[in-house]
Amino acid sequence: MELSKDLFRKLEDNEKNSEFIAVQSRTYLQDAWIRFRRNKLALAGLVFITIMILGAIFVPILSRYTYEGQDIANRHALPSAAHWFGTDKFGRDIFVRIFYGARISLSIGFLAAFINLCIGIVYGGISGFVGGRVDLFMMRVVDILYSVPEMLYVILIMVVLGSNMTSILIGICISSWVGMARLVRTQVLSLKQQEFSLAAQVMGASNTRILFKHLIVNSIGPIIVSVTMMVPSAIFTEAFLSMVGIGISIPMSSWGTMANEARELYQNYPIEIIWPIACICLTMLSLNFIGDGLGDSLDPNKK
Amino acid sequence: MSENKLLAVNQLQVYFDITPSMFAKKAIVKAVDGVSFEIGKGETFGLVGESGCGKTTLGKAIVRIYNPTSGNIIFDGVDIANKKNKDLKSYRKQVQMVFQDPYASLNPRMTVGEIIKEPMEIHNLYTPAERNQKVQELLEIVGLKPDHIRRYPNEFSGGQRQRIGIARTLALDPDFVVCDEPVSALDVSIQAQIINLLEKIQRDTGVSYLFIAHDISMVKHISHRIGVMYLGKLVECGESEDLYRNPLHPYTKALLSSVPIPDPDIAKSKKRIILEGELPSPINLPSGCRFRTRCPYATERCGESEPPLTQVGTRDVSCFLYEK
Repeated sequence: MELSKDLFRKLEDNEKNSEFIAVQSRTYLQDAWIRFRRNKLALAGLVFITIMILGAIFVPILSRYTYEGQDIANRHALPSAAHWFGTDKFGRDIFVRIFYGARISLSIGFLAAFINLCIGIVYGGISGFVGGRVDLFMMRVVDILYSVPEMLYVILIMVVLGSNMTSILIGICISSWVGMARLVRTQVLSLKQQEFSLAAQVMGASNTRILFKHLIVNSIGPIIVSVTMMVPSAIFTEAFLSMVGIGISIPMSSWGTMANEARELYQNYPIEIIWPIACICLTMLSLNFIGDGLGDSLDPNKK
Repeated sequence: MSENKLLAVNQLQVYFDITPSMFAKKAIVKAVDGVSFEIGKGETFGLVGESGCGKTTLGKAIVRIYNPTSGNIIFDGVDIANKKNKDLKSYRKQVQMVFQDPYASLNPRMTVGEIIKEPMEIHNLYTPAERNQKVQELLEIVGLKPDHIRRYPNEFSGGQRQRIGIARTLALDPDFVVCDEPVSALDVSIQAQIINLLEKIQRDTGVSYLFIAHDISMVKHISHRIGVMYLGKLVECGESEDLYRNPLHPYTKALLSSVPIPDPDIAKSKKRIILEGELPSPINLPSGCRFRTRCPYATERCGESEPPLTQVGTRDVSCFLYEK
């Protein structure tokens, strides 16, 4: 094709548009959400967890059964229109107990993760940011805490404080914030040498401002992923404790206590043990998928 | 020059202790080892030298990212070399820095508006409405569009990001800006844009620059005076045109002969000085003159004592060749 010269003309200065950005502006979270949506497994996990949370809130309120109400005539009933998941050995409705248990299991999971997050960010942030001897001392404390098995803390605290939700929470948090503190420390250590952090220093920003506004904000990706992974591990610890009989005490239900109760008769009534175990498995799986998906979508390098 | 002096650096030393453990042999990097110079109001002082000679360390010590080991940094009559960080607030308002890497120097989680506003927030300047207006003015000065204010740094090119960085340093109307290789990460055509912008800002506001770079021809273009650094020491210092035409120190000569010349005929006729050997380690410095291991004129005397910085005409040179 012949291109003649008069097809072209020189642009005037005011016609040049070299500074114009055509792409729509998106925030970090919008970007992350777009990438997260592409991961179908993570999305399925998110849907399942949302259903569990809504169920945990509304099922015990709306149902005509309570978690402790017994229907002696209807013990070990199979799933029916009256009892959707059947009843247990005391004739209690399993459907309500599962979602009442979800309240306890999920709130332990999320609360533990939240407490870990707060302690970990402050402790790890200070340790990494101040550095030097302070860092050395703070990290040795962490090492000492880490060297004692988590279960030992939990069991000892349960013995002293009795078996209730608070003591389980304290037991789980006392050792597992350590992982978060280490993660935050490494992030802060590498980010504080970046030029934007030096720039904030040159501007005269206070240490608190640099730490929270520049360093923590930029390590939010790995932090969120780690929090998502902490939730299932706390749920698992609680289920384990209840399963071996030192967790949530009856007649309250958690998935662990339900599995423990059904275990005695599982050869005769296997369906009763399947419900709590399925819930534990699916919840842990969903949270792990979500964590995985977030790991991919929050990492700007994987764009 | 002395009557409108803004900054005087006097025998500044910045050492880093890199001893690996308590029991290992002591290892100290003398990154900056006794550097003195002065910068006047509205003046640009260029600092050149090869990689690892301590020029960036010197710049970072002046803005007090690094703490000087000894020496003075006298800014507007006040020595800030040993002040505690919390006493530096007014200094931090007057002195800013433009960083080398425009991809790392802007917080990726903040919008352009937030980035430029931040220094004003830290120093409690202006009302929120005035701040927004100031951001618009600054964006216009550096040649960006007003609607860029809500965008994130990753949406901009390297040159645009560097201009955002410059707008941020200007937010506090500083008297002195340390430019640490502000163009070395950029494309050549963009380099000129940024240099012209810096020059225009200087004409309009009378700000002083410490311009750090390794490209001596660029430094000559923007600077009034140039200092040449080698292994933590200033080896030569003088008016930029004069130093560029007639270098005295053997190292400056070698540095200048390495500048590529666009005309191949002239380039052929020019003799290039090629330095032998490697740059010595700053942990284990040679005795006497630091340059003697690579200097074509080195004599026995150079190994015995260190040549002081002496005045030759309008120039300061540290070499025994020019001793009276």
